[in-house]
Amino acid sequence: MRWKVSRWLTAVVVIAVVLAFIPTGNAQQKLKVGFIYVGPIGDYGWTNAHDVARRMVEQQLPVETLYVESVPEGKVEPFIDRLVGQGAKVIFTTSFGFMDGTVAAAQRYPNVVFAHASGFKRARNLATYMADFYQVYYLNGLMAGALTKTNKVGYVGAFPIPEVKRHLDAYALGVRYVNPQATINVRWLQDWFSPPKAKEATQALIADGVDVFAFTEDSPTVIQESAKKNLLSFAHYSPMYKFAPKQVVSGELVHWETIYLDFLRKVLAGKYTADNLQDVDYWWLLAEKAVEVGAEPGMMINPLFVSRLKSTTVKTVEFGTLSVYDLVQRRIAQMSKNPVVFDPFAGPIQDRKGVVRVPAGHTMTVGELTSMEWAAPGVTGPWPGEP
Amino acid sequence: MKQVGPFRLDTGEPSGAWTLVVSAAAILAAFVAAGGIFWAYGLNPIHAYAVIVHDTLLAPGAFPEIFRPTIPLLLAGVGLVLAFRAQFYNIGAEGQLLAGTVAATGVALFTPIRGPATLPAMFAAGFVAGALWGLLPSVLKLRLNVNEVITTLMMNYIALYFVSWLVTGPWKGPSVRGFAYTDQFPASAWLPLIPGTRIHWPTLVLGVVLAAAFAVLLARTRLGFAIRVQGENPEAARYVGIDALRTTLLVMLLSGGAAGLAGVGEVAGVHHKLLDPNQVSLGYGYTAIIVAWLARGKPLATLITATLFGLIYSSGDVMQVSLQMPFRVTSVFNGLILFFLIGSERLLAYRIRWAPAGAPASAPASAVAPSPPSGEDP
Repeated sequence: MRWKVSRWLTAVVVIAVVLAFIPTGNAQQKLKVGFIYVGPIGDYGWTNAHDVARRMVEQQLPVETLYVESVPEGKVEPFIDRLVGQGAKVIFTTSFGFMDGTVAAAQRYPNVVFAHASGFKRARNLATYMADFYQVYYLNGLMAGALTKTNKVGYVGAFPIPEVKRHLDAYALGVRYVNPQATINVRWLQDWFSPPKAKEATQALIADGVDVFAFTEDSPTVIQESAKKNLLSFAHYSPMYKFAPKQVVSGELVHWETIYLDFLRKVLAGKYTADNLQDVDYWWLLAEKAVEVGAEPGMMINPLFVSRLKSTTVKTVEFGTLSVYDLVQRRIAQMSKNPVVFDPFAGPIQDRKGVVRVPAGHTMTVGELTSMEWAAPGVTGPWPGEP
Repeated sequence: MKQVGPFRLDTGEPSGAWTLVVSAAAILAAFVAAGGIFWAYGLNPIHAYAVIVHDTLLAPGAFPEIFRPTIPLLLAGVGLVLAFRAQFYNIGAEGQLLAGTVAATGVALFTPIRGPATLPAMFAAGFVAGALWGLLPSVLKLRLNVNEVITTLMMNYIALYFVSWLVTGPWKGPSVRGFAYTDQFPASAWLPLIPGTRIHWPTLVLGVVLAAAFAVLLARTRLGFAIRVQGENPEAARYVGIDALRTTLLVMLLSGGAAGLAGVGEVAGVHHKLLDPNQVSLGYGYTAIIVAWLARGKPLATLITATLFGLIYSSGDVMQVSLQMPFRVTSVFNGLILFFLIGSERLLAYRIRWAPAGAPASAPASAVAPSPPSGEDP
């Protein structure tokens, strides 16, 4: 009997200790902000860029952040439940595939502020946001057109969806503006992150005679693989200059923190609430500094290539004959104004089949950009869903 | 039989209680080992476990989430138990599950069946598709003696790429702006949920019914007898006139069909569309192999093992959100639990008896044929 009593006592003490550690009501008053990521934070691409921005937000604003990485699409709703359970009052979901789950969660939690990246469905407590690269790809295209010697530039694409097609077309328009003979050879990976597939695609493009590379894939594989043959490339999403300092010309860099800081400041100031987000859509570009041209922050063009870009000239209607280097600077200046003075998708533009896609005098709207399917002239290779 | 100090080690069929004791000890050992990881990560292990227990079981809305991954694991797992009992090593539940998702999507989006008949038709189509996907490897094995581990595994990749092709190609929905999804299913193809949860209960009921039905089938029917005999001794089965072809085909039809039902549940109860195969299934067909293995040939035991995995998945999610741990650490945690559980399998073959020297020896354990799949004979 005695030892039984002592055993019960032990059990009670253990349970008491355990219960003592269970977090009870949170004393902190900071706004809790949750982030749901589609990939691992170390992916060196999309998710990493969002996470870098999350950490900057936490440093600069009086908020506390929570994140969940590698979330499968079917589990976005339960993870939102758990974040709300942890006290999150603002939740960012950062993948297109999370759209329907976020819409459903926004209905279930009418007092929580939601924002969904890259989607098109909004609600009174659900905003949308996107930092888009199409202008930057156009500028990279201008440089690629000037630097190719084989007149074949390559593009390794993730999925043939409007977002990637838009970037590829902008890149192709830039290439052909400087070099009307060039082709833009395309390979699709059907994957956002796949170093093996990216390696294979790069090797295939090298075999086709491609000597300058751009891509949409969340690893530096294309850069590393093309650098082995001393071929040039443009960094994608993260600063990738260090992976091939002699071959990376420029690239696309993102600054999600500009959007997150702006959005959360407005939430903190009471300007954005769970009641007035129906029309809040961030479509932020160069002018808002949400994206940047560069091989790494502050290095717009790798100094190794400046002289070649300065010695290649191009005839333009607007500026007369000037070097590609100067053209890039002028275009950046034009697109850094708000509203922009120049847009790569200003008509007239025909697709590669000769069909007029943007009539003269018209510039593509955001709605048209986010649903575009056609291929620009010079694009060579398969194009699933080509109209 | 072996004497170690005052203990005697007998070999033989483990009792249910012994299985539970060893498994619980294994999980406890895994918790201690994982506690080391928590500690290395800068967390107080006791605090970490308290948070995990609270947020997995007690937090509002958390408990039902355990059962969402349980549903596909139960269906696919119970089918695998049947196949393993017949010594047919079906590694292809993932592919059979995906075949089920394709058939269900086909019915939901591309047939005129609407209204209350939609869901039964989807389940029927999913069962048939899963069964047929499992049939080809069994025919290859029976007719040409091709190793079924290889063929069932390879059929998974065919299914995976087939789904991938469908959603990026012919079945890509006009309403999804070029992304790789089909259109959303019509409302009549959505499985009802238990209110306040995300448990698509018709699939769960199917899983429980199937577990019970397969238990009865194995224990009480002629086919069950044939399966058991063939599984334990194919030569004897042939000798007593059991038709190996018929038995194996029926087993694989049921096994593949069950996995196909799991696939229907995922598209009709969770996603409401067909999408990238790696997003549809989260590897349930592979995890179901461990679910079936731990169930040790007993269909009803999958109710426990599948729930255990639901719990493991759920606690992994909690670690990510409540403890802000990286995704990979949660995988390590889950891996440790499995490592210890499967590692403890070997211990189950022994019974420890208190037998100090001089005490009368108990009757030696008679040679019992190990019940497959025990840890003895992979």
